[in-house]
Amino acid sequence: MSETRQDIPTIQKFIAVLWPSFLTSGVATILFFTAFDPQELAMVGGYGIISRMAGYTIGFFIFWLLTATTCALTCYFQRPCNQPPSTTHHHHPKDA
Amino acid sequence: MSSKVTPASETTNPEEIYAKHQKVYPRQVTGIFANLRVLGVLVLLGLYYIVPWLRWDGHQAVLFDLPARKFYIFSLTFWPQDFIYLALLLIIAALALFFFTALAGRLWCGYACPQTVWTEVFLWFERQIEGDRNKQIKLDKAPFSARKFRIKATKHLVWLVFSAWTGLTFVGYFTPIASLWTALLNLSLGPWETFWIIFYGFATYGNAGWMREQVCIYMCPYARFQSAMFDKDTLIISYDDKRGEPRGSRKKSADSKALGLGDCVDCTLCVQVCPTGIDIRNGLQYQCIGCAACIDVCDDVMDKMGYPKGLVRYTTQHAMDGKQTHVIRPRMIVYAVLLVFITSALFYSMITRMPLRLDIIRDRNALYRETTEGMVENIYTLKIINMDGKPHTYHLEVDGLEGLKLINQRGDIEVPSGEVITVPVRVQIDPINLKHTGADINFHLQAVDKPELSLIEKGRFIGPVMQ
Repeated sequence: MSETRQDIPTIQKFIAVLWPSFLTSGVATILFFTAFDPQELAMVGGYGIISRMAGYTIGFFIFWLLTATTCALTCYFQRPCNQPPSTTHHHHPKDA
Repeated sequence: MSSKVTPASETTNPEEIYAKHQKVYPRQVTGIFANLRVLGVLVLLGLYYIVPWLRWDGHQAVLFDLPARKFYIFSLTFWPQDFIYLALLLIIAALALFFFTALAGRLWCGYACPQTVWTEVFLWFERQIEGDRNKQIKLDKAPFSARKFRIKATKHLVWLVFSAWTGLTFVGYFTPIASLWTALLNLSLGPWETFWIIFYGFATYGNAGWMREQVCIYMCPYARFQSAMFDKDTLIISYDDKRGEPRGSRKKSADSKALGLGDCVDCTLCVQVCPTGIDIRNGLQYQCIGCAACIDVCDDVMDKMGYPKGLVRYTTQHAMDGKQTHVIRPRMIVYAVLLVFITSALFYSMITRMPLRLDIIRDRNALYRETTEGMVENIYTLKIINMDGKPHTYHLEVDGLEGLKLINQRGDIEVPSGEVITVPVRVQIDPINLKHTGADINFHLQAVDKPELSLIEKGRFIGPVMQ
């Protein structure tokens, strides 16, 4: 139990952040724009007339930005809080 | 081990496979399961590229018209209000996936997944341009030359053109495909359409050309959780190690019993054909997409050696352990019952679906007004949505209070198929008949030419109460 957790490679971390967030933002886009018409939202919000395709696209990327941020934060918080200066052969007091 | 080829999983540290990925060169395979997969590719991709071009009643037969917020599927038109059908369809798809996975393992992955299907096409292009597996490996090892450049450039150009066509077809499901092509040829494609064509085309090129099995291994959530749906009666692809071991090469004429060898001749063809680069002889692995390429190739070898087929075969854990396989088991019954129930619910609600909607919006400016004749009047805006495949003329009536009078200057309302017609109407009442400040009234809408097409929608009538 004393060895530090083997990390996944950096590229896999990128995939782990970008890919699940892509899938969930797709679902979010479908749900959101089924309920709300982007054209009406833009009018109400005072953004003037936009095409619906523009609304869907922008909405999708805003969702993706949000979900990717969540995934990235989850990844980040998986690090141990009290990271020792040297990570090799470190014994946590609890494990001793 | 006398293997000529070492599987990628043995030479590469699993933790490093992303960083130091070894390219998998799947060898071409022929046989019954390869034929089934080719059939799957032809049918599925054939449908994908052809369906947007089908016409129905003067419109694209299958069109998820996002700009107009309407989905056309042959004679049916779906509106955002019909979201429940989409939700039910997704639940059915998920249940079907559970059912077939528990029954027959990763059928989806091996034969129907877009990743498999498009990768199969990209591999075919690669073989046509670069040659077979050995030629591909040789070409990649060769130093850079004009010939290598020419071959690689041709391959990528063909891949890119095919991807662009795929992306255009994809967008063609959402905006009419004929006008999309016209716009493309006139170089007048809209910015958002262009963006999504490039996005989807690039995803196809990247996933089927470059990522391939890595999508299945690292990115696919189903690959990770499918083991939860497996049990000992699930159909899996397995190597019969009792029969095969000890493996070893021998002459066809050799007596394997005398040599003390099992049936596996250790030709490593099963490893060479594997699209995910694993060795099926190491047992069930989550990288296995169940494509059965190893079964086809091993059966060929067994035939050539004069041994019975099926050293690698579709089987179950129970059968491998010499026990009875149960196809009908509680898990299957639960999935099947749910599947049948939800599917019938969907069909029932689709058949009994009233392709008509009435939205009632009260005038926002005034609660009510009094006319010169002393009547109390409410103004409404009615939105009549004809979701039927044909145009209809509707008759409107109102009741719910004594002496209600409907003033609808348009008379009977004609609504074309798939259109929304906005009708302003006024409803009047003699204030003597008003018992409360607010009351529910009913709007009756009925198609003149089709009386069963009718509905009743509630509206709110507001007025002063006479003391």
